[in-house]
Amino acid sequence: MLELKPMINALLRSKIGAVLLLIQVAITLAIVSNAAFMISDRLTYLNQETGYDEEAIFSLSVSTFDPSINLVQQYAQDERDLRAIDGVIDAAMTNWMPLSGSGSSSSMHLVPNPEIGTGVRAAYFTTNEHMLNTLGAKLIEGRNFYPEEVVHADNYDKLPNTTIVTKDFAEELYPDGSALGKVLYQGEDAVEIIGIIDTIKGPWLNDSRPANVVIFPFNLSQPRAGFLVRTEPGKRAQVMAKVEELLLKSESRRVFYGIEGLDESKASYLARDTLVMRMLVVLIVVLVLVTALGIFGLTLFNISKRTKQIGTRRALGARKSAIVRYFLIENFLVAGLGLLIGAALAVLLGQQLMKVFSLPSLSFTFVLASAVFMLIMSLVAAWGPALRAAKVAPSIATRSI
Amino acid sequence: MIKMNNINKVYQTEMVQTHALRDFNLEVEQGEFIAVTGPSGSGKTTFLNIAGMLEPFSSGTYELDGIDVGKLNDNQRADLRNQKIGFIFQGFNLIPDLNLYENVEVPLRYRGIKSAERRKRIERCLELVGLGARAKHLPQQLSGGQQQRVAIARALAGEPRFLLADEPTGNLDSLMARQVMEILEEINREGATIVMVTHDPELARRAPRNIQVVDGQLADFSLYQGAPNKEQTAGDIAARAAEA
Repeated sequence: MLELKPMINALLRSKIGAVLLLIQVAITLAIVSNAAFMISDRLTYLNQETGYDEEAIFSLSVSTFDPSINLVQQYAQDERDLRAIDGVIDAAMTNWMPLSGSGSSSSMHLVPNPEIGTGVRAAYFTTNEHMLNTLGAKLIEGRNFYPEEVVHADNYDKLPNTTIVTKDFAEELYPDGSALGKVLYQGEDAVEIIGIIDTIKGPWLNDSRPANVVIFPFNLSQPRAGFLVRTEPGKRAQVMAKVEELLLKSESRRVFYGIEGLDESKASYLARDTLVMRMLVVLIVVLVLVTALGIFGLTLFNISKRTKQIGTRRALGARKSAIVRYFLIENFLVAGLGLLIGAALAVLLGQQLMKVFSLPSLSFTFVLASAVFMLIMSLVAAWGPALRAAKVAPSIATRSI
Repeated sequence: MIKMNNINKVYQTEMVQTHALRDFNLEVEQGEFIAVTGPSGSGKTTFLNIAGMLEPFSSGTYELDGIDVGKLNDNQRADLRNQKIGFIFQGFNLIPDLNLYENVEVPLRYRGIKSAERRKRIERCLELVGLGARAKHLPQQLSGGQQQRVAIARALAGEPRFLLADEPTGNLDSLMARQVMEILEEINREGATIVMVTHDPELARRAPRNIQVVDGQLADFSLYQGAPNKEQTAGDIAARAAEA
């Protein structure tokens, strides 16, 4: 009952419409599978674990414009005030905020300058012994800073000699064993690794190594400074609302700004990527819709062009189901061939994108999944017109027009 | 072969009700060759559509080869058309994208006949209509007469008991018309029942039995002298009707 051979012959004899549709299907598959892959890649990036309870942490920055204020004392007071607020778990002063897109990084070496040895780049925070608790970072090995290790200063005369690093950084610098107790060098200055914490992300999520983070016990008290605060679940908003007023009470000759939840900082950092991803989604939806409409239209056109033929086939003994099957199989042949060509195109396009935009290489699973999806979509699009064809009355065959 | 009893066909639109066939009665015996004539709009085509199960009727009974057609569902009617009836259409109705071989093959595929048997039948039937050498040609490469011969080959390939021809020579010149008619007569001599709708009196005269449809009914022959006989033709009846 399958009429493959005559069907293929008939397609080959009047092929313009079919070829156009085939090209459309092929191009759509090439674009859709690559776009789907890029979306998935973006989604992985956007949804990456940061290591923080982003909804419980917020940051605030301060700019002090009166040089007579003793910043070391004032910031210590501020930290105490912050921790005393009802609902605050801990607070720490820091030079930069995680996930904000702004920070400092430096290469950490196994040997001091100017010797040449292995170096690994890491973002660093200068802060104090409250930082781990404030971030909710989990200590895997070693210990937290002792309060007496923290350097409180408004200049770089005295530098800390200990550090806590993420396991990601530790594993990169010491792939063959524990980094705990080892010494590393920032330029000529040596610091000992006294603790290793579980993965947390630094300021840049789009960094090739976003979790290479190093923490120094160094409360650098400069006119511009920042604080991180972690609150109990659900209490962040109320703390954020009153924090400015409270801190201004102890010293009013300064300005607070950037009071922002960690999730909000992350969202604004990722805003462009989120937008690009949404545009890709829209692109895919539009492309697939246009192709579906193309299939729908071509099948409908074929059917109205062949009304007499359908009636004749019915008169000659075709059941309704045979007519539906005819159009679905015809559509399947065109779409199937288009998808095969499209898969090859997708791979080629993927390679070009990889070269030109340094994207990761296209996984064939995406091509396959997109092809299966488009095949189903093409059958759905052809289904309605095919049912309509089956309704053509056999008596059409005897009409002379 | 065909037994129609009080067949009525009513086309209903919002504004009007049209009685295309009115208490239509007809019996056709196995092996007959009948020409159906009648003026335009008389119900000839409706009769043909109902006889060929191409459309349902409103009331009455119709038996085809002993099968009560009114009790069949759509699939059963399709199968019965495929097995018992060979259609020959005025416009040939060949499928333009299929070559002659594939065109003749269409009804055989719907019947699920195996490929080797199909080949045998198609070659024989194309040979019979004198187009055996042109199996790979497309319909548009053929003259009208040749196309109609292909359509006859398609109708014959299923070895039907009953051939329904709708103005089979309507689109042909007289020479080609004669050729087609000769083929039909030949088929009839070999035992097939043929019902041919035509408005060509000359063609109708060649058929052993003539019936005329007027206003959705068989013309009442009792109005004229004696019952219709085999010599009586549509032309004669029309002439006498004019006299009366």
